[in-house]
Amino acid sequence: MKKIDLHIHTKASPYSDSVYDFSISKLQEYVEKLSIDCIAITNHNLFDLEQFNQISERLENTVLPGIEIDIEKGHLLLISENTELDDFKNKCNQVENLIQSKSDYISVQQLKDIFTDLSKYLLVPHYDKNPILRPEIIEQLKPFITSGEVSSAKKFQYCINDTNSLVPVLFSDLRFTQQMTDFSPRQTFIDIDDTSLRAIKTCLMDKNKVFMHHSDGHRFFQIFENGQKLSTGLNVILGERSSGKTYTLKKIARLYENVKHIKQFELLETDEEKDKKKFDDLLTTKQCGVSEQFLKEFKEVVEDVVKIDRKKNEKRIEIYINGLLKVAAEEEKKDVYSKCTLFNESKFIETKDETLKQLITATQLLIENIQYRTLIDNRIPHEILKELAVDLMKKYEEVQQKNLKERWINSLVANIQKELQSSTAFEHVEDIDFYTILLENEKLRKFEKIATQIKTEKIIEQREVRRFKIVASTRRFTGAQELKNKSGIQTAFSDAFLLYDSPIEFLEELKKKERIPGTEFFKYFVDVSYKILNEHGAEISGGERSEFNLLDRIQHAHHYDFLLIDEPESSFDNLFLKNEVNEQIRQISKTMPVIIVTHNNTVGASIKPDYILYTKKEIVDSIPIYKLYSGNPSDPKLKTIDGEEISNYDIMLNCLEAGDIAYIERKQSYEILKN
Amino acid sequence: MKYLKIEDGKGFFQKNTDQWIELDHIGKEDLLVLLDKAIADDFEMDEYNTELLGNKAHQIIYKQLFQKFNELQQNKSRFKDESEQLYKSAIEKYIVTKNSEN
Repeated sequence: MKKIDLHIHTKASPYSDSVYDFSISKLQEYVEKLSIDCIAITNHNLFDLEQFNQISERLENTVLPGIEIDIEKGHLLLISENTELDDFKNKCNQVENLIQSKSDYISVQQLKDIFTDLSKYLLVPHYDKNPILRPEIIEQLKPFITSGEVSSAKKFQYCINDTNSLVPVLFSDLRFTQQMTDFSPRQTFIDIDDTSLRAIKTCLMDKNKVFMHHSDGHRFFQIFENGQKLSTGLNVILGERSSGKTYTLKKIARLYENVKHIKQFELLETDEEKDKKKFDDLLTTKQCGVSEQFLKEFKEVVEDVVKIDRKKNEKRIEIYINGLLKVAAEEEKKDVYSKCTLFNESKFIETKDETLKQLITATQLLIENIQYRTLIDNRIPHEILKELAVDLMKKYEEVQQKNLKERWINSLVANIQKELQSSTAFEHVEDIDFYTILLENEKLRKFEKIATQIKTEKIIEQREVRRFKIVASTRRFTGAQELKNKSGIQTAFSDAFLLYDSPIEFLEELKKKERIPGTEFFKYFVDVSYKILNEHGAEISGGERSEFNLLDRIQHAHHYDFLLIDEPESSFDNLFLKNEVNEQIRQISKTMPVIIVTHNNTVGASIKPDYILYTKKEIVDSIPIYKLYSGNPSDPKLKTIDGEEISNYDIMLNCLEAGDIAYIERKQSYEILKN
Repeated sequence: MKYLKIEDGKGFFQKNTDQWIELDHIGKEDLLVLLDKAIADDFEMDEYNTELLGNKAHQIIYKQLFQKFNELQQNKSRFKDESEQLYKSAIEKYIVTKNSEN
């Protein structure tokens, strides 16, 4: 088994990195301390041959030349054999010349042109790690790509279990400077005997040959540079006060990205009113999908109605009627131009046949649907459906042809009217589109009805979350201040609120507010509020709010790569922990590494962890030394990395039950009570 | 067949066969009928001539009609072509499939 890290930075690229001073001794320390068998130097879009030779001479392990290339807005590691270095340098120089700004990248074709025979290299894209190389680009580079870099143990394990994923690799991606204190334990173990590029390439074609730990396959991964491992499932850290438990959690949080850390007492309420407000705001943000879903159709109505200019329509009608009255009064004064029928001819109105369009789509769906084919064919013969589709489409063509003709005539009539009008002093009656005006009036009438109805206060959704129930209800705005809060901007709503019960006028008032975009108007008609009820249907208390928060946070930890929980028992009672929390933690630990620090037997033992760690502080010559023992829950002994042992049974009893004697006494007391 | 003519200083259009109406009475529906004729038939018109057409209003209408219908003659199938593009491939697909099934 060899340990490899093929993603190492030793020189800052002018466009991809901030400046740093590379320390070769730090790199040497890293390689030796973590017993790495093979590394690759992969700087962004450049290869420094001179520096590479210096590193190769200094280190005893295999050092491969490589480059991390910006390609199609993603990153790709390209690693070469340790031969023909001048040729490799020339090729990398070509990449360097093409990247002249932060936004530059090369294309797949350019990569192929530069490196010609890609089969000579190992190509590893950023796969589940930012900035990712898009799947279609990876596809274009097959068969040269067989493995992909991921950023965490969680993602590594996901790729191992997913048959369609590339072979995952974990690399450090470190920049070595003198100031570094911790080294990332992100490396990959591969099942080979030598560290030639050929052997590595062969190995990276097979998921059965890559591991996160040298001896425990995929169930464990290395967490610290000293080789300390952790389960990819559920880990429990035990230990006395001040023995380094929280320190261990903090170190993990510092060493790894994308970690969800639920700190001790974090969920406990300190200021009830403030916490309730914070909680309600958070709930509203998290649940805003419900509000969006509820208001979706109303939003469409408002966006349509907002385009209607009611006053302009009224004005048009007024002008039209005045025009007609004037023409009637001056009938006898008509001249040769104004007497022409076309002088006051109205326009053809285009037929918008949406129903016909929908019928065509529906018929096409019936023709093309595969899922319910037999069911459809049983009732309607396929050829009849096709005939219907053709008939409907032809009808649609007919309608469209008529529209085109009418448009042609409208333009002809408009030209004639213009010339006739310019030849006479007689008043022309401005054409008016009654159809559109009537349609718009109808839209406004319906909008008014909907906007009034939507303000009726009611429950719009209830969702069970464990023993809690999230209830979303609509409520009327009760004052201008609430509208202002909704808008989040400094603008007065007092005039608008006076018209709150007249939807059309209210909307017109909102339209005057330039800082509110038209797409947001729908939000000001009704508010959606959320509350959480307990199993008795009562609004939850402060303690229950904390419980809900904990469950909610565990549930949302799915987005992260690690979940760390520090002494949950400090804030909650045992029944809640056993009944609600343990189950959820076990569930989430199936998909990601979870680490819990605890003193509590409900959490520590009842949760049935996959791996146990025990922290211990010893004072040697007045200096505190922190030790970390670990092992499987069934192991009789827990061990440190150096091989020191401690009894697992003693640890469990001391940490979780306050020692053997206390445990027996407590057990006896319970027996007495029971009897 | 002739659909627009100039006679006695006035412009006329043919509404029904042999029914000639003065141009100041022409409306949009009449124009639609004329358009259909212009697309389908052999559509003839008297040349526009200011000297022969004394009526000023008729001059305006006749001139516009003559120009537009003349242009149309160059591309009679434009309405049909444009509208047939809409579902062209779908219609072809379903008709062809039907024929091949038979």
